Amino acid sequence: MDTISTPVKKLDHDLKMSGAARYTDDLQIPDMQHGKVLYSSVAKAIIKEIQLPQLPEGYVIIDKNDVPGENFVHIVADDCPVFADGVVTYIGEPILMLVGPDLKKVRELLSQIVVVYEEQTPEIDFRKGETFFYHYEYEKGDWQKAFAEADQVLDETIETGYQEHIYMEVQSMIGMKDPNGKITVAGSLQCPYYVHRALQKALGLGPDKVCVIQAEMGGAFGGKEAYPSILGCQVAVAANKIGKPVKCVLDRRDDITVTSKRHPASMRYQAAIKDRKITAIQADIRYNSGAYITLSPVVLQRGLIGAMGVYTFDALRVEGKAVKTNTVPNGAFRGFGGPQTFFAIEMFMNHIAKAVGEDPLPFKLRYLAKKGDETSTRGRYHFHIPMPEMIEKVDKASGYSQKYQEYKNQSGRYRKGIGLGLAYHGCGFTGSGERDMIKGVVRLHKLANNKVEVLTAGTDMGQGLKTTFVKIVAKTLGIPIEDVIIKNPNTDFVPDSGPTAASRSLMVVGKLLNRAAEKLKEQWEDGEEQEVEEHYVHPEFMIPWDLSVFQGDPYPDYSWSANVVEVEVDTLTGVTRVIGAWGMYDVGTAIDYRIVQGQMQGGFLQGIGYGSIELMDVNSKGQIRNNSLSDYIIPTAMDVPHLQTDIVDHPYEGGPFGGKGAGELPAVGGAQAYISAMESALGTNLYKTPFSQEDTLEFLTKGAK
Amino acid sequence: MVTLRNGYIPETLAEALKIRSENQVVPYAGGTDLMIKAQPSSYLFLNKLSALQKVEQDGDMLHIGPGCNYTMLLNHPAVPKVLKEAMIRIASPATRNRGTIGGNICNASPKADSVLILYASDAELKLSSIAGERIVPIEEFFTGRGKTILREDELLTDIRLPLKGLDDYYYYKVGARRAMAISRVAFVGLLNTENGKISRVAAAFGAISDTVLRFREFEAMLLGKTLAEATALKPAFLAKYQEAIVPIRGRVSAEYRKQVCMNLLADFLNSNGI
Repeated sequence: MDTISTPVKKLDHDLKMSGAARYTDDLQIPDMQHGKVLYSSVAKAIIKEIQLPQLPEGYVIIDKNDVPGENFVHIVADDCPVFADGVVTYIGEPILMLVGPDLKKVRELLSQIVVVYEEQTPEIDFRKGETFFYHYEYEKGDWQKAFAEADQVLDETIETGYQEHIYMEVQSMIGMKDPNGKITVAGSLQCPYYVHRALQKALGLGPDKVCVIQAEMGGAFGGKEAYPSILGCQVAVAANKIGKPVKCVLDRRDDITVTSKRHPASMRYQAAIKDRKITAIQADIRYNSGAYITLSPVVLQRGLIGAMGVYTFDALRVEGKAVKTNTVPNGAFRGFGGPQTFFAIEMFMNHIAKAVGEDPLPFKLRYLAKKGDETSTRGRYHFHIPMPEMIEKVDKASGYSQKYQEYKNQSGRYRKGIGLGLAYHGCGFTGSGERDMIKGVVRLHKLANNKVEVLTAGTDMGQGLKTTFVKIVAKTLGIPIEDVIIKNPNTDFVPDSGPTAASRSLMVVGKLLNRAAEKLKEQWEDGEEQEVEEHYVHPEFMIPWDLSVFQGDPYPDYSWSANVVEVEVDTLTGVTRVIGAWGMYDVGTAIDYRIVQGQMQGGFLQGIGYGSIELMDVNSKGQIRNNSLSDYIIPTAMDVPHLQTDIVDHPYEGGPFGGKGAGELPAVGGAQAYISAMESALGTNLYKTPFSQEDTLEFLTKGAK
Repeated sequence: MVTLRNGYIPETLAEALKIRSENQVVPYAGGTDLMIKAQPSSYLFLNKLSALQKVEQDGDMLHIGPGCNYTMLLNHPAVPKVLKEAMIRIASPATRNRGTIGGNICNASPKADSVLILYASDAELKLSSIAGERIVPIEEFFTGRGKTILREDELLTDIRLPLKGLDDYYYYKVGARRAMAISRVAFVGLLNTENGKISRVAAAFGAISDTVLRFREFEAMLLGKTLAEATALKPAFLAKYQEAIVPIRGRVSAEYRKQVCMNLLADFLNSNGI
């Protein structure tokens, strides 16, 4: 019998597979102009002078003086300018936009602009930085006593690198102005109302004078949560000035250089150990924010909340800093602060286990969080945590436990290793954000022909949201999927159901749709036009979150994962093959089994890339050198030919049909499984992502550093 | 012949050579390198020339038409396995359907995967013009990164690959990933013996210097020796390479690439009982 989980053909399948989908770069509007942004080429400087070439007629410079409202892009704080105002603070900071009818000519003219800088010494190394945008601390239990009484203390610093999204479609946006002065921005974006609010501020216009439309979208992974507000303001200001549509599509090198990435992290972990048991953990965590705040506080909060991973400890202390540096502002990326700390705690648990003479898995099992436990932030795990069942399944599928023993003490050219990484992802916006800030609203509009249109601000960027929303509404109403209409959001017509981020859409917005559909079903009148609206209701069971003391329930529920990776290392070259990857996930009830499987496999692969080959760094001048697809390497299907994922079905009662967050979860657990496998193959402890071919050969040649 | 806004499409080799002699044109085979550069040029499109797309065996000599794309060569029974092994690691199926072995050679990248094999196997190239033709050993064709001795009126018209002794080979490519990866280091080794004595040693290194590296003077140390004699010479042999291989700096450290070269060279000897 068909259930809600039974896969259906994705609603955007035919459009995208046939090549008919029109992305922002494909859109042509009469009289449309092309914009290209001039970015800072130095990390910190005062702009002394900008020397422009002779501009032919029709070619226009747009800069800070053209911003009619405030020259700030509203994200979390308002600290990031639309266009630089006399100073630049990172390589890639937007200085001005050159707009004209011919893109080639625009590029040519842009290359002739000379910026005279008075350079200052930039702060590049976030490990040393002393300027903190945010600084949080929390603790639980008597950790001081535990450390004082410890018979062994383990103290390690674990680091994670950048990760770049490499969405297939680069950042792209079009700004338009209508004769009444209303500004519309259409493009590749995750959060229409984020852009909407940013436009109001930069343009100095009321909410009814700006409009945001999501175009077809070729991927985002979080990279289009905040940056579209910046690019959106830029094209809006340009369109406002010249009165014609302005399109700006970033080149790939620019996109990699100037847009946000996963925050690099440096994490010092200390464990108090007594009688071979952990009695307390301390974590001192730094995330590299880059030059502006953008989303860093929220990313850091999620990282700190997860600093103890999937475990319950009675005594702990966590401190975290968002460090300001003169590098590109970092931001949202699938997992949103989680992959860093979950990597660190998993590696740390491996190392503690070995230090007390145990194998990692049996050691970890004893500390697993379970229903009813107090969380690190003195909230509560309110629901069943199926981790033991998931571990058992993934162990059976991969042969982890047996292979872990077999792979001890290998010699010979090729050495195998197997590693296990555990993770959770908190579902929904962190803390009380859903209740206090987002306050999501959805509407269902029933037409006289009995078809029902779904009205939300939720965006489908390839993750299947249109399909799952439609399934929820159709199933609730008991009508065929074909009778439910869903279009790309346009803020003139859809209510603000919140951003498409934080693995919240299915669980939170989907639940609102589920309730709206129930309401409509009760009121249903054949042949009548009807409309229902639903507003967010905060789960009553949640222990209120208080950010000032970092306490309470940050999320109503969590999604869980157990990941195993098996590798084979060539000791002559350091080349490592992933010979198997197995993932087991709890995402509540899958609203579409195939979509969930697609998410799990893609996210897991992304996590393995984060651990292995996705290497990016800034040089001493703050320049990212790996800014092309031949220098920044992401895995292909060939790199993990045997990738097996599955789910356990434990419905979450707060979600629609039992569903909860899924999209980010798989990207949180991949790197620790991979690096654990490298530890098993090399017979050593490792402390960072990515661990490259070069790192591997260096270790084999010289031993651990 | 078809004349386009951006070049010419000749239908015979004679036509192509005539155009080449009379015009400033960039020969265009598969275009997989030229498309990326997208410089305003006048191209000589070679894709209609069936004369350049043949594979013919003449005893121990294989004649490979430089216009053959990788997919054609991968499917051809006469192409030796060692060359196929290098070609199957080039980019992706889409690129292998377009890219040609002649283009791989004339692009003159030290990372060219097929060129490495041609170096080790003592291949020769036939260069033709309306004035005549010349045959050069592949090592003499390259003068630097992106530089060759091909004259402005010449085209590469034949790749002459001696087939003897290619069955026992040692090949390894280090890429950043399993597919769609430019070589970071590539190595091929050939070792043949006759009557208990080493009759051929070839060790070639790709992606290390401005051209593929092969040191015939070092290889000569082992020629005519028994395996036991070669084993005695092994430390001195490796020391020569240790001194001679100086990788050009790149994204991946010179130290790593050097170490890989030395490890693979030693393993190549080891796998041959030396």
